[in-house]
Amino acid sequence: MKLAIDSSRCKGCNLCMLVCPYRIFKEGKEQNERGIILPELDRPERCPNCRLQKLYGRTLCGLCQMICPDQAIRWDDEAKNERQKVEVEF
Amino acid sequence: MSRVEFMQGNTACAEGALAAGCGFFAGYPITPSTEVAEHMAAKLPKRKGVFVQMEDEIASIAAVIGASWTGARAMTATSGPGFSLMMENLGYAVMTETPCVVVNIQRGGPSTGQPTLGAQGDMLQCRFGSHGDYSIIALSPSSVQEMFELTAKAFSLSERYRVPAFLMGDEIIGHMRERLTIPDSVEVAARRRLEPGTLPYTAGEDGIPGFPTFGQGYGVHVTGLTHDERGYPAATNPRLHEKLVMRLVHKVESARKEMADYVVTNPGAEQVFISYGAPARSVFQLLHDRPGEEIGHLRLRVVWPFPEFALGEFPDAKTFLVPEMNLGQVAREIQRHTDVPVIPVPRLGGDLHPPAMLAKALEASR
Amino acid sequence: MSFRDWYRADRLPTIYCAGCGNGTVINCALHAVDTLGWRWEDTIFVSGIGCSSRAPGYIRTDSLHTTHGRALAFATGIKLARPELHVVVFTGDGDLAAIGGNHFIHACRRNVDMTVICMNNWIYGMTGGQGSPTTPRGAITTTTPYGSGEGVFDLSALAVAAGANHVARWTSYHVKELTNAIDAGLRTPGFSLIEVLTQCPTAYGRRNKLREVSDTIEYLKTHAILLQRYNRLVAEGKPVPEDMFTVGEFVRRNRPAMGVPP
Repeated sequence: MKLAIDSSRCKGCNLCMLVCPYRIFKEGKEQNERGIILPELDRPERCPNCRLQKLYGRTLCGLCQMICPDQAIRWDDEAKNERQKVEVEF
Repeated sequence: MSRVEFMQGNTACAEGALAAGCGFFAGYPITPSTEVAEHMAAKLPKRKGVFVQMEDEIASIAAVIGASWTGARAMTATSGPGFSLMMENLGYAVMTETPCVVVNIQRGGPSTGQPTLGAQGDMLQCRFGSHGDYSIIALSPSSVQEMFELTAKAFSLSERYRVPAFLMGDEIIGHMRERLTIPDSVEVAARRRLEPGTLPYTAGEDGIPGFPTFGQGYGVHVTGLTHDERGYPAATNPRLHEKLVMRLVHKVESARKEMADYVVTNPGAEQVFISYGAPARSVFQLLHDRPGEEIGHLRLRVVWPFPEFALGEFPDAKTFLVPEMNLGQVAREIQRHTDVPVIPVPRLGGDLHPPAMLAKALEASR
Repeated sequence: MSFRDWYRADRLPTIYCAGCGNGTVINCALHAVDTLGWRWEDTIFVSGIGCSSRAPGYIRTDSLHTTHGRALAFATGIKLARPELHVVVFTGDGDLAAIGGNHFIHACRRNVDMTVICMNNWIYGMTGGQGSPTTPRGAITTTTPYGSGEGVFDLSALAVAAGANHVARWTSYHVKELTNAIDAGLRTPGFSLIEVLTQCPTAYGRRNKLREVSDTIEYLKTHAILLQRYNRLVAEGKPVPEDMFTVGEFVRRNRPAMGVPP
């Protein structure tokens, strides 16, 4: 699963940054067409919910989605055979 | 088989509500309307209805509106000070088009005034009391029998037109005891359901949208804010607000003829009394005492929306005399609709016009 | 179904300012309702006036957005007329404690079976930041420009004293605990109050040295003290850090309630 920030809903409050235990959100730099600076994703594959929610059949963590006051965070299905870059940290 | 009872006006009002299928009553004790609540408290639980005594009149009308949205026929009863407290939520009921019946057993005001004596000083308050432009329905009973009948009728009109209906009684009728014939059944118009697939505030030609009862899967949002046909707030849209308010007023005013309920006596008369509520009884007495004279009498059972066409029932009228237990609240409305001189015959203090007072006014007008 | 399916997607985004905690509270409430398995057809959300009270407009169920302070009275009517419906009320500190204070204590006293979620942000947000009954002493608002000199209502203590069956307090930072508390409230027959301390960066934070959203979140995080810990400190005679507010479940009991479905 892939984490997506809905740019039509996000108001750029960055609450997700404050709560994510994996720090996958970082402050954005560019304004979108609504004049809002969306947070950027930093190696979202580290998020267990992205990797494992299908396997476990339930939401793991999900703190960012719960605290997001604008209901802007969702997980989408990946397209079939979508290529992913995975960095392994040692 | 109808049954005959000897009953107080307030109790008859409660009986009328029960006969009309009222299933929810929320109220707060206030003289002189308390007997309505007491009777409902005794009777409703035995009919699987709900009676609740709220913490004030504001909460009473709020609970009534809430209950009405679950589909219940709901009512409250109060008097002057409590009626003033209800004004904000009555505006809410108008804006959200919530059927509900409010009984106001009027007493002398302003303020605490005369709790145990009658008056008709709230006739304009019920019409204009809440802020903004709107129209409502108000009925005025002149006897214990009419307390019963018009309460039932108030439910019928309120359910049909989705607007608060007021039973504007007074202490005199409320506390009077008379013969009452209770029919076996009373017919009450049913609330029209919202057709599935229709937006909750889309109205047909009559301006009355179908009712989306809570708990039936309509998923309707009800708000006192200016709302669009979906029920969503759209408070900053000027033309939408205009359209909504015009519809709220129009749906009541355009049905004046359907709702009209008045009694005409001696239509050929030149001197015509126009009355509603308790003062009608003084006019009865005057007409009874002077059988030879042709004195007209127009008795309004529905006061709002005002049936101005009823004035045309007296083509020869030279004066309209309007005895009221206030300083001429409805007389002013009558004046708006006719070139015939309108003479208010006000009576303050809580006692009814003596027939001699009406006779004097009659002589003076000739 | 997920809590996200309870929203009216066509009404989003909300009118709330960036960083407002109200949206978080709605998430938690809907998550609790959803995991409990309630059907949206049988659930009614009621509210009064204010920022918090716009919440039901974003939820797809039947919802009643009423007059200022009167939500509990409207909700009482709904619940008593149709006890089989679930009734949840969204309200704010001004709505519940100021103009609606009388309805609040009486709804607790009657113990009507409903769950009330109060978004307490210490301020009137929608009208631009005036002092409310929960504005802390000394706080700057547009109507207390020299610092609030009035006492503060403890809404949870008030509800406990007035007879509610379930009372809990959390903050918009503690989303998991808050969701659990709302869940407990929904399950408890009778009146349940969940007071949620919420950040208002626009009207409160910016006048009270909490300009950034993260400032209030940090405050909520560091100043919340669990009720059990607070009680232990008091019992042991140890000093309780100043400026702390207690969070947790204040009461859960089974007093006779009204409007409980048969």
